[in-house]
Parts: sequence; structure tokens; C-alpha cells
Amino acid sequence: MPPPPPPPPRPAETPQPAESVLAEAEKRASFEREALTHLDSLYRVALRLTGNAAEADDLVQETMLKAYRAWHQFEKGSNAKGWLLTILRHAFINEYRRRIRHPETVDLDAIEPFSVFADVQDEDPQGTFFDRIVDDEVLRAIDQLPEQFRETVVLSDVEGLSYDEIARILEVPVGTVKSRLFRARRMLQGKLYDYAVGMGYIKGTPK
Amino acid sequence: MNCRECTEHLYEYLDRELTSDVEQEIRQHLADCPPCGEHFDFEKLFLDFLRARCRAHGAPPELKRKILRDLFGA
Repeated sequence: MPPPPPPPPRPAETPQPAESVLAEAEKRASFEREALTHLDSLYRVALRLTGNAAEADDLVQETMLKAYRAWHQFEKGSNAKGWLLTILRHAFINEYRRRIRHPETVDLDAIEPFSVFADVQDEDPQGTFFDRIVDDEVLRAIDQLPEQFRETVVLSDVEGLSYDEIARILEVPVGTVKSRLFRARRMLQGKLYDYAVGMGYIKGTPK
Repeated sequence: MNCRECTEHLYEYLDRELTSDVEQEIRQHLADCPPCGEHFDFEKLFLDFLRARCRAHGAPPELKRKILRDLFGA
């Protein structure tokens, strides 16, 4: 059987009509204005989720690419930061998590929240020992939190989102956000307190 | 409002997530109860500290250039 004839050559690309050039320019301008302004936030969250700078770079790049492709679906004027963080989190879950961190097997509800205040209220009720703890140490402590706690604390305390926004991004009820935030912050406090005791910033008794 | 109820709303209060009625009740309790007041102050200091330590870092400038190149070929 003779081979099928080659497909006809594609017509040379016609120059884009002025309208679509304009639409593309508008798309780019609105994306830069509404999405790219959240780059720092996306990067901070990506860094805490992946735990390393190279993976965070890739995750943010991929998020921006997906977001740009889906930009027509974004409801202009609504919460772009929340929309972008949702894309980022899905990308992380689907493609990165399995490679980078192992799924957790800890029973988060079994973690007893511990009150640092009860321990320090006589010695340092103002918590001045916190001031001596540097950025890197705080970030390290956040990185050690179980993932569900870590993402909640990052969205709240690092990015300043409301409970409602966090609930939408994580796809859990607001009550879950509250209880995770409570436990996550207490756990973080406990870690930083232990560190401060270890460094001799405060006498205390490490747990 | 008693101390236990007040403490249950600790973070919601500090995160400004309560209705103004409940917020007012808590403010009143904190004014009347120095131990709860001290506890709330401590937690507020902790949250301020946490935010100050974590929000300073942004994306590396090279990342923004890479993304712009990816998206617009510029």
C-alpha cells in the first residue's frame, strides 16, 4: 500500500489581528498587576511546604504558568492571592509532596497542646526570651511541624489570611482551621521555648 | 464570661475573627481579670514575634525574571 500523502503544508501564520494583540497585552497587564504582585507570598508558602529553595522555585514557576493559562477563569476583582495559593497547594499535593516529604502518620488530635505561658509566667511573663530567637530558628521550627499544622500556620501567621480564606484554600471547615491553628501555634511555642531553654535564654524546664 | 470561656476564644480574639459583641465581652473580661490579661498579652507578643520573623523574606529577584521569561518570553 502506498504511504498516505503528506499532509498539506500549514498555511503560513497569519499576522494576529490588532484586537487579539490588544487582548493579549491586556491579559498580561492584568496578570502582572493582580497575580505577580503576590509572588513573595507564593514563594514563602512554597518554601515552607517544600522545605527547600530549588523546589520552591519550581513550584512557584509552575503555579504562575498554570495561573496564567487559567487566567480567563479568574473572577477579576476577587481574591487573587487565595486563588493562586489554591493552585499552588494543588500543584504541591499532586506533584511534589510524594517526592519530597513522606505522608504523615501522626495522629494530630492526640497531640496535647502545651501552654508555654503557664511555664514562663513567673520568670518572663512578657516573653522577652522570644526576642533573642533569630529568623532562621523560627523558620526551622515551622518546618518541623506536621504538614497540616505547618500549612495552616503559614497561611495565617506568615501570610495573614483570614480563617475563612484559609478554610477555602485547604478545603476544610473553619472549625478545623481554628483547632489546627491552636495546636500548631502551641506546638511552635513549645519548640521555640525548648530552644530558648537550650540556649540559656530562659531557665525553664524543657518538655 | 468566665476565664475558661475567655481562653477558648484566645486566638480568635487576637486574630480579629469574633463578632463585635463577643469581642467586647472578652475585652471586658480582660480588663477585670489581670491573669487572663497577662496571658493574652503574652500570646499577642508571641504572634507579633512570629509574624515579624517570617514575613521579612520574599522571592529571589531571579525567580521573577524566570517567570516573566516563561510567560512572556521577555
